Amino acid sequence: MTRYAVLYLIMLSGCRSADRQMPAAGQATPAAARTRVNYAKGFTIAYYDGYKEVKIPDHAAGAKDTLDYLLLAPGAAIPPGHPHGEVIRIPVQSLVAMGSPQVAEAAFAGVADRITGVGNGRYVFNPLVREGLRSGRVRQVGQETSLNNELLISLRPGVVLTMTDPDAASAQYRTLAEAGIPVLPDGDWLETTPLGKAEWVKLMGALTDREEFVNRRFDTVEQAYLRLAAIGRSAKIKPSVIVEMPFKGTWYMPAGGSFFAQFLRDAGAAYHWNDTNGTGSLAFGFETVAPEALKADFWLDIGDIGSKKDILNVDKRFGAFHAFRTGALYNYNKRVNEAGCNDYWEAGVVNPQWVLGDLIRILHPGLLPADTLVYHKQLK
Amino acid sequence: MKESPSNHIRIAGLLILLVVAFLLDLSAGPVSIPLKGIFRALLSPHGADPTWGFIVRGIRLPKAVTAVLAGCGLSVGGLQMQTLFRNPLADPSILGITAGASLGVAAVMLAGGSMATVFAIEALGVPGSWLIIGAACVGAGAVMLLVLSLSNRLRDNVMMLILGIMIGSITLALISIWQYFSDPEEVKDYLLWTFGSLGGVTGSQLPILAIVVALGLVIAFLSSKMLDALLLGENYARSMGLSARTARLVIVCSTSLLAGSITAFCGPIGFIGIAVPHIARFLFHTANHRRLIPACCLTGAILLLCCDALSQIPGSQSVLPINIITSLVGAPLVIVLLLRQTTIQAW
Repeated sequence: MTRYAVLYLIMLSGCRSADRQMPAAGQATPAAARTRVNYAKGFTIAYYDGYKEVKIPDHAAGAKDTLDYLLLAPGAAIPPGHPHGEVIRIPVQSLVAMGSPQVAEAAFAGVADRITGVGNGRYVFNPLVREGLRSGRVRQVGQETSLNNELLISLRPGVVLTMTDPDAASAQYRTLAEAGIPVLPDGDWLETTPLGKAEWVKLMGALTDREEFVNRRFDTVEQAYLRLAAIGRSAKIKPSVIVEMPFKGTWYMPAGGSFFAQFLRDAGAAYHWNDTNGTGSLAFGFETVAPEALKADFWLDIGDIGSKKDILNVDKRFGAFHAFRTGALYNYNKRVNEAGCNDYWEAGVVNPQWVLGDLIRILHPGLLPADTLVYHKQLK
Repeated sequence: MKESPSNHIRIAGLLILLVVAFLLDLSAGPVSIPLKGIFRALLSPHGADPTWGFIVRGIRLPKAVTAVLAGCGLSVGGLQMQTLFRNPLADPSILGITAGASLGVAAVMLAGGSMATVFAIEALGVPGSWLIIGAACVGAGAVMLLVLSLSNRLRDNVMMLILGIMIGSITLALISIWQYFSDPEEVKDYLLWTFGSLGGVTGSQLPILAIVVALGLVIAFLSSKMLDALLLGENYARSMGLSARTARLVIVCSTSLLAGSITAFCGPIGFIGIAVPHIARFLFHTANHRRLIPACCLTGAILLLCCDALSQIPGSQSVLPINIITSLVGAPLVIVLLLRQTTIQAW
């Protein structure tokens, strides 16, 4: 259940503009460009003589299965000793990105122009990909059960990046596997830290032989994030925060082990459910959250809301919240394009330093020099 | 006819139980508030703890009042349907009214296309929740008119029963098509709606629900004699001067008002309509509708209040949807009743 909530949240993403085009790197990976994965737990990259191996462990229900991918140059022979490895020929020249984080990862690596298919065009923010959708260069292939297998196969992409669970991938995408199209499940949404989620861009780097570029760029993101987190954590006063909005009586709050709780910790917020277990969302009744909601200093990331009036329209009782009365309402829909697509769910995934910067500026005004928010805006 | 004193005692007993159940429902919730705190929050709003005041008056009180209204409305609707069709398994949704309301809600939630459409309507000033309620009412009303217009051509009530079931099937098929083509989030939203929710009726919605339910109950009560006559069979009733058409019209209107409005505001809530009339008959040993209708109101309200109190699982933060609890509670109750008597009364 929570899986779908998170999936939906991720689907509402958008992408960033300004992709730089760089020539593809050589096939042998120099030692300097070899990627080390520090934060993400959902994948590992190992470098061998002439090929790379990507392993995606299946953490679900204690299963010990691991998906094995061999990244080989075109024409290279399959190395012995990997009977279950799925072969991906690299550098990938065309790819299908099923969800927004995948589009964002491609854009981060500078290869948004190699996207030839997306799951649902409605959820794409990146202007380059949108232009491709309009001109027909990028096709819409559908998602989950409405996947258009024939269209996908006719596109012959180098790899299909999906958002589903690693164990679901094998069953659903069997048709594609039989047609010789590799499917790689992107598990960024399973990560429990913001940097872990963003680090999946390194996988894109490995697929496109652009490790040097991606790693350098990620290092900048990482350093900016860690610097901001140090500032946020050292804040003297930690304001209390509530997020989201109840629907028909159920209020989903991020659990203490989720990536968003990590954001709040790094931003120097006091979060009532910080010590709860779980990496997804907890489903509460309105009444359980009400005592906190009435007192909380800030109400963030509210949902599909544009103004105070919208909030009251959903339920007049929200007007009694302290944060509502003081106007401390901040929603994450500042960067939304004309089609209603929100960049927070696209580029926001691979740029956690901007999200963290937003949160610190909101919660601790004056602590950081500049004051413009990237993804958030105050609701009036 | 003389009112037997034992009936008075039973009604008094039920009234006391109603107050107890109401207080029980007000006490049930993840935040533990003692009874004294509840009274203080209700009676002296400024002297009480503001958080408790918000919870009791803002969250629990509207929910309890909705439970009373829905309990009364659904049980009387079920009673009328069981009388009209002389079928002990009839419930208010049997005419397809609930299915029509579901169709309206699905049209907004699923087939409404992109969120842009809903935003466009909201820009006109209609809040999202009213949109869903309005759509449900339109759906229920459309089915009601369809049933009424077709019922004029039908020979007897059994045909109307079949008509209602067929309409239910069609609406279910349409909803399934929309679900098939919708995003998972929309499907989940719709699914949550079908679980029913008593806590979603607040603010300006509650008085409107109260007025409509009261109207339906009044119509039902005033037609008690008609309902009594129908129990004897349509031919017999006709011999007593009752027009079958008028009877059908009045009963269908009253039930549609009750079932349609409650479904529109609370979502489909099952089992109260089937179980409560049987419980009331069992308690009062009568088929007289003048006594049965108030008895059903009281029993239905008590039962739904208890189900709502149970839905806050004691000691846990989760709340189960009301539909699940009513089925889990209602079915065993009916089984117990069945085992205690050899025949179902009034047939």
